Amino acid sequence: MNNHHIISATDLNKDFDSLQVVKGVNLDVNKGEFVAIVGKSGSGKTTLLSLLSGLERPSSGRVILDGRDITDSSENELALFRRDTVGFVFQSFHLIPTLSAWENVALPLFPVKISAEKRRERALELLRQMEMEHRAEHRPSTLSGGEKQRVAIARALINNPKIVFADEPTGNLDSATTDAILEILKCLHADNGLSLVMVTHDLDLAESSDRIIRMQDGEVLS
Amino acid sequence: MYYRYVIKELRHRSNRTLVNVFGIAVGIALFVSISAVSTAYKTAASRPFKNIGADLIVQRAEKQQDQPDKRIKSMRGIRLPFSNQLFEAQDLLALQRIEGIDATTHALLLWEFAENGFRTIMGVDAGQSSLGAGKVRDWVKQGRFPEKPDEIALEKHFAKFQKIKPGDTFQISGHTFTIVGIIEIKEGAQVAAANIYMPLGIARMLLARKPDAMNLIYLRLNDPSMLNQVKSQLAAQIKGASISSSDSFLELMGGVSMISEKFSLIASMVALLGAVSLIMKTMIANLVERSHEIGILKAVGWTHQEIQKQLTAEAFVQTLAGGLLGILVGYFISFLLGFLSITIPIPWELNPVPAMAKQAQAASQIVRLPVSVSLPLAATAMGLSVIIGCVIGYVTGRRTSKMKPVDILRQL
Repeated sequence: MNNHHIISATDLNKDFDSLQVVKGVNLDVNKGEFVAIVGKSGSGKTTLLSLLSGLERPSSGRVILDGRDITDSSENELALFRRDTVGFVFQSFHLIPTLSAWENVALPLFPVKISAEKRRERALELLRQMEMEHRAEHRPSTLSGGEKQRVAIARALINNPKIVFADEPTGNLDSATTDAILEILKCLHADNGLSLVMVTHDLDLAESSDRIIRMQDGEVLS
Repeated sequence: MYYRYVIKELRHRSNRTLVNVFGIAVGIALFVSISAVSTAYKTAASRPFKNIGADLIVQRAEKQQDQPDKRIKSMRGIRLPFSNQLFEAQDLLALQRIEGIDATTHALLLWEFAENGFRTIMGVDAGQSSLGAGKVRDWVKQGRFPEKPDEIALEKHFAKFQKIKPGDTFQISGHTFTIVGIIEIKEGAQVAAANIYMPLGIARMLLARKPDAMNLIYLRLNDPSMLNQVKSQLAAQIKGASISSSDSFLELMGGVSMISEKFSLIASMVALLGAVSLIMKTMIANLVERSHEIGILKAVGWTHQEIQKQLTAEAFVQTLAGGLLGILVGYFISFLLGFLSITIPIPWELNPVPAMAKQAQAASQIVRLPVSVSLPLAATAMGLSVIIGCVIGYVTGRRTSKMKPVDILRQL
């Protein structure tokens, strides 16, 4: 790994019982790079994303994320690392139904010792960037799919992450909303220099990235 | 602490929150009311002693007459009650050797079987008004306590029954006394009850036996927790003594009082455990329902301890609300139970009236059950609620530590 890499994965394997889901993956992602991981369903792309982001531990191999070897980190160390360094955008949005839009955005900062006022201001600022400020007090159940994903993207950015992992971020959205969400992600990458690793099965979507990594049967093809 | 999140979670899952709050409230209410009733019985039983400021009363019952020629031929005149024979000088010396006694006083209780009826006479030590029969000096309702050799005071109901009032005269064993006061016996103070009160010296004169005669000794202890210890010493030092304390009343009250005495703690704990298991069950069910949410929290960087803190805060708020509600309900139940009346029977040796007398029944006094929720009881209930909240938070938090974010999110 050199200083240009935000992620460096070496000989990464993941087994679930006798099933090998990720097989000997070697992968580097440069700082500020937008990488799309594509492949069919069951190709291991989501598992690879989980391994790269520290949500999952590899069966063997190593992952170095932002200069830190996270392979042997404890659950709590990984949680704190994710809070400080990583943002997530999920296909199913994964918003907390009891909290309003701005509170969902601020969720990663709840345990952080900053004033409630600053936390709210930061969340509202991100919602403004997502053109969602007017929905700040609304709960997820009253938001459309596209609005939910905008809130989820804002949440992924609340901690000023160095890298955002997006797992099928447009998988549950219609085509118009997909375009809008993709535009937001591209802007974040282009304007802020954010590293972005996106898993998708949509090749058209992947075309927007700097680099496409294809997976099949747990292996990286290119 | 993420108060906003805590409150929103509880509000959003209002049904579950209400079940938890009411569950813990029922447990705490039962704990409070059972404990309050148990304490009330003890208070009622201790009242006869508390009212006269004594922890123990020592008496000596008449020995069984074995020889027929020494049996009583006539009951007429002044007599010592069967359960209150005179103490000897060495008995008083023995008292001084017993540790733990703070104050001692004595009295002379007499019976008079006159032509016009039966009456009880109490000779009161004028020097000691804070202990024993001397307390009646504080309960003078009309007039004053007798001071001169020809003065007496009467108990209110006796005076009413005899239709006599202060200023009238009254005959005892051929002597004429002027009534100078009317005494109203405090509720539950039957152990100091008599029809007629007079200075100890005059009672001794009426008995005409010994100038220092006494048949009732009242003791106050330095530390009430030494009660059984002092009782044992008394039994060893004063042969044939009958020693009574509030326990003697509690034993006679039997029934509910004994049950609550023995089982109140267990019953309270069972009620609380029921509430705890209910809330634990709903919280764990809640945890399963919220595993998605916990997965999200972990994914966005919450540590296990922070999630545990959140869950503990939620449990804490519910148990705190349940505890407060439970105390209020327990207070209300106790208030209602306070309208109940109970009978405090007097042990025969403390009964100033002979068993064959019609007045004997009056010695069993009916009193209101003195139920109250004390501050320490409320604080204990509140403390238990808080502990329960912390335990539940800890247990549910432990469960979340085994959850991995990716495992939870993968299932969705």
